[in-house]
Amino acid sequence: MGQLMRSIDRRSFVKASLIPAALPLAAVLASRSALSAQQAAGAAPAAPDIIDTNVHLFDWPFRKLKYANTDALVAKLRNHRITQAWAGSFEAVLNKQLDAANRRLADECGIRGGGVLIPIGSVNPAWADWEEDLRRCHEQYRMPGVRLYPAYHGFTFDQPEFIRLLDDAAKRGLLVQIVLRLEDERVHHFATNIPPINVTPLADALKKTPQAKVQLINSAGPLLGNNVPALVRETQVTFDIAATEGNGGVGRLIEGTNYSYRGAIPVGRLLFGSHAPFFPCECALMKLFESPLSLEQLEKLMNANARRLIG
Amino acid sequence: MTLADPRSFALNPAAFGLPTRDDLVKLRIWDMHYHGFMNGGIRGHEENMFYVERMGIERMLSLDIAGTGADPLGNSIAPEKKREIREYLEQHADRVSGLIPIDPSQPVESCRKMEEWIARGPCVGIKYYGGNPGGVVCSHENNDAIIRLAAELNAVIYIHTWMKIGGKPRRPGGDNERGESTPMDVALLARRFPDVPLVCGHSGGDWELGVRAVRPFKNVYIEFSGSDPHSGQVDYTVREVGVERLIWGGHGPSRSYSTELSKVLDADLTHDQRLQVFGGNLRRIAAPIFKQKGYKL
Repeated sequence: MGQLMRSIDRRSFVKASLIPAALPLAAVLASRSALSAQQAAGAAPAAPDIIDTNVHLFDWPFRKLKYANTDALVAKLRNHRITQAWAGSFEAVLNKQLDAANRRLADECGIRGGGVLIPIGSVNPAWADWEEDLRRCHEQYRMPGVRLYPAYHGFTFDQPEFIRLLDDAAKRGLLVQIVLRLEDERVHHFATNIPPINVTPLADALKKTPQAKVQLINSAGPLLGNNVPALVRETQVTFDIAATEGNGGVGRLIEGTNYSYRGAIPVGRLLFGSHAPFFPCECALMKLFESPLSLEQLEKLMNANARRLIG
Repeated sequence: MTLADPRSFALNPAAFGLPTRDDLVKLRIWDMHYHGFMNGGIRGHEENMFYVERMGIERMLSLDIAGTGADPLGNSIAPEKKREIREYLEQHADRVSGLIPIDPSQPVESCRKMEEWIARGPCVGIKYYGGNPGGVVCSHENNDAIIRLAAELNAVIYIHTWMKIGGKPRRPGGDNERGESTPMDVALLARRFPDVPLVCGHSGGDWELGVRAVRPFKNVYIEFSGSDPHSGQVDYTVREVGVERLIWGGHGPSRSYSTELSKVLDADLTHDQRLQVFGGNLRRIAAPIFKQKGYKL
């Protein structure tokens, strides 16, 4: 299992970037993985590699980050056996020129990503011409998905444009990552006023676009509120574990006994996400061991669920 | 998920660049901020011991002994419940120590509780909750009698602090609860009691501001649990106040041990410095009362 997800080297990434948009990058990554598995046949079993679905590049607008430098971040991820990381850009959070942020992100992942970083662009459905940003992310920058920041970009889950974006992304086979929170509202800069996002309309929106591949990022229990059962039972949405709190929090979340979540989330819907470099990537990694998870559960969390989602 | 053996792991954490349980045990981790008794009492604590064991935590200092946020002095807690927890602390003094909540809006009653639970009981310190019914923060003069008695008893003094953004005009601390202290309150108190160690809890929540508020006061220690894990937080705090003033807290069971451990693992510290942060500094300030009571250090 540990050999199934080999990291792609820089040359592989460049080659992947040159293929037609009709063939998703994920398909290329999958074929690489299959090849690696064949090469690894007969090798001693090793610990699984990890796909980190929740990474950002560059500086957080309000603080210099320890691993804002892409080379340092990639080295850090590799030290922890993270061989693939889906990277958004902090520049997309407050910049209005999203295309410039997306272009720089794609360039940075290609040049400094070391085969680890997969660029995930940003689109704001509340702004005019977002369809063109989505097209560029897909066709021009070869991104396998887009990341949305409703709290920072000023849209809600019941807006028609949001639902249309889900639909358009689904037609393109793109993953949509929705960032529910980046920073605890209690410590926001005093010059900003960014309230928590209301998750309640999300289940209905997702039911209107059942083919959409959607992941919630930093989906802390208190943010999800009473919506966990509906999201789990009535949609196919997935979640990352970066903001899962409590002693044994991940295991308890799977069991349905995590006090901060009003409902269980099956292991098949959970993906590894670190929120690095804002959070230490050790945080999410340690959560995998704090709970007494089985090898099968760990493999799903570490990479299998992510592979399935992006494939 | 089976809870059979807390020391059993399906994969080796070392393969992922993480400390193993044995590595954590060697760090001699003392948890300054333990809420295991908060909601479920002794039963809740014993259930949580699975995770304490699994993560190699050596000792917990529980902050919720005979008191709650709404009733810090525990007037509504039945005498038999108090007797039960007191006996539990006496019987498990090798693993868990108690701090009692006090109420600065009731200084006389607070001192009476300290006599009962610290001078003549198993507890080793006092805790200021994040607010109190009377709305009195830790810098108020009401606290002087409490701090004087705590110093006489060599009690560990833990003060919850936060600076929640809000209010009009919007400012750090503007959305605090009534009686919820800020690091600036701790600084005022520290100025009046320069020889008494004070633990500024949660690093003020907004740690970039909180650390600076208490930086000049050498008798103020910084505990940094209970907020999201921000990469660089511990590096910054060490740079500002020195590694000898940091104290680790787990904030379980509501926070993940992973969250709190990762703040330290993220920092550029030597093994000896990690030893200081994870327990050495707390053992230093707790040593006088632990020795008085014959507790293992």
